[in-house]
Amino acid sequence: MDDLWGNIDYAAFVGLFCIGLYVVVAKQNLIKKLLGLNIMETAVFAFIVTSGMVDGGTAPIIGPGATGPFASPLPHALIVTGIVVAVSITALALSLIVEIYRQCGTLEADELKGAE
Amino acid sequence: MSHWLPLAAFVPLVAGALTPAMARGRPGLARGWALAVTAFCTFATAALTRRVALEGPFSYAMGAWAAPLGIELRFDEFSAASLFICVIMLLVLVYSGPYVRRALPATRIDWYYSLLLINLGGMIGFVITGDLFNLFVFMELVAVSSYALVAVGGGRTAALAAFKYLVAGAVSSVLILFCIGVLHALTGSLNMADVARRLATVESRPPVLLALAGLTAGFLVKAGLFPVHVWLPDAHAIAPSPINAVSSALVVKLGIIGLLRIFPLFAAAGAVSLAPLFEALAWLGAISVLAGAFFALFQEDIKLMLAYSTISNIGYIVLGLGLAGELALTGAGVHILNHALIKATLFLAAGAMIHQSGHRTLHDLRGIGRAMPWTTLALLIGALSIVGLPPTAGFPGKWYIALGALESGRPGFAVVVLVGALIIFIYFARMLNAFYFRAPSHKEMLGVSEAPASMLGPVLLLGALCVLGGLLTHWPVALIAPAVGRLAGGE
Repeated sequence: MDDLWGNIDYAAFVGLFCIGLYVVVAKQNLIKKLLGLNIMETAVFAFIVTSGMVDGGTAPIIGPGATGPFASPLPHALIVTGIVVAVSITALALSLIVEIYRQCGTLEADELKGAE
Repeated sequence: MSHWLPLAAFVPLVAGALTPAMARGRPGLARGWALAVTAFCTFATAALTRRVALEGPFSYAMGAWAAPLGIELRFDEFSAASLFICVIMLLVLVYSGPYVRRALPATRIDWYYSLLLINLGGMIGFVITGDLFNLFVFMELVAVSSYALVAVGGGRTAALAAFKYLVAGAVSSVLILFCIGVLHALTGSLNMADVARRLATVESRPPVLLALAGLTAGFLVKAGLFPVHVWLPDAHAIAPSPINAVSSALVVKLGIIGLLRIFPLFAAAGAVSLAPLFEALAWLGAISVLAGAFFALFQEDIKLMLAYSTISNIGYIVLGLGLAGELALTGAGVHILNHALIKATLFLAAGAMIHQSGHRTLHDLRGIGRAMPWTTLALLIGALSIVGLPPTAGFPGKWYIALGALESGRPGFAVVVLVGALIIFIYFARMLNAFYFRAPSHKEMLGVSEAPASMLGPVLLLGALCVLGGLLTHWPVALIAPAVGRLAGGE
């Protein structure tokens, strides 16, 4: 039980990930699906960023008077890239949604099935 | 010479980003530009493939930062797939010229070539990188440009199919990124060789298992294997035909190459055994072979039929991976390359027919064998190859996989290989019948003429490559033999 409490943040990320996945699968509205996708992405980003944490670590900036331990900067660099990817996917998805709405007049997946 | 490796991936990416600006106000320039860049990549990857055949795998340290810290590009025997990617992309670009002039709005043509170049750069980067996060970034470059390319033709179904593809693709990407994060947290490294070394000493089992399962599932969605294939038929049938050729022949293969890249990471890990996973993959592959072929039987739309046959062929490759013997892996490796040639032939030939006649179902296309004899011939050579009849490119892969099944004492899977081929033969017979022997459903079908030379040329060349690929199998087999040996040996 102690282990779980020590890693409560990881449990939270997994929970967040599952919420996002549920929204993507279960919701019919395309914008809600996209929101679910963003929730999943946020959960993964938060997980990777916290994995770079070091107990008592400070920002890894070398300068006069800087002493360790430092937090690992690599996960942050990765997630900046990850966020760029996520933003571009969101932008593309939103523009597709605009196009779908213009053509079909609805954003509900079950109604769109009939429109195909 | 050593800089060819990064250039092969980054030149098309940069060129793709510059295309819309360059081609602004100069219509027609975009295609020549894309052709020149792709020709450069073909040359570069051919030189790299020659080097890997002579000397074995080699690496390049980006910015001269050595491997565990810097990003490593690594060209091994499987990276030779980049040569196939470039050749097919070159032919697709030649073919695109007359096709897009009619199929796309004029304002989108520059963007079309720009996206294709980015797609090409992403694919080359994906197969040559030796770094896990880099793999993810290249995968996303390919994915985002593919989503956009599916929708590029416009129309209500195109945007919808692209959105479906985007959701499936993005969920699998997030899963893959999550698992890469887990591996990084476990080992503190992102370099593939380094991760493999460090995973061997990791003792806690659950996170390693989680990473393995998540990565496998994510890449299988990308590959479009049967239970997770739902995005594939729509996306592949609705996109413009040259895009079908790229996505069906090349993009889905990246999922498989991703699997080939991650399995060696876990092979040395004492915490998990890969055997149960391979067993599951063999079964999933076998189910996908039969299900894909079975669905293809009931399609009237020729492009949907080809899309389902892709699912069936991905099944063959995954079955070969799952059997995990040296013969089966050789079969899977050869089929990755040869299926790319075959599917490109089929989609480009079918695209030419649809382009010239305006019809896309077997019923409407009756009698086209007399109107477009050369295109039909190429399509039928492609169909013969996909059945896997001996002198063609589809044969060696399936033959090795069946031999691999027998070798590992699983004759049931060899029967699946054969039955899958038989079902595919039925739809080959349906096509043959419709194209040559039935009276045309539309009178004007007999007045249809062959496509222009720049469309017909690539189709015929690919048809010829389908035959050559079958006759010259010993080249790819000899090329990938060391990589297959490493995989089967569990290194």
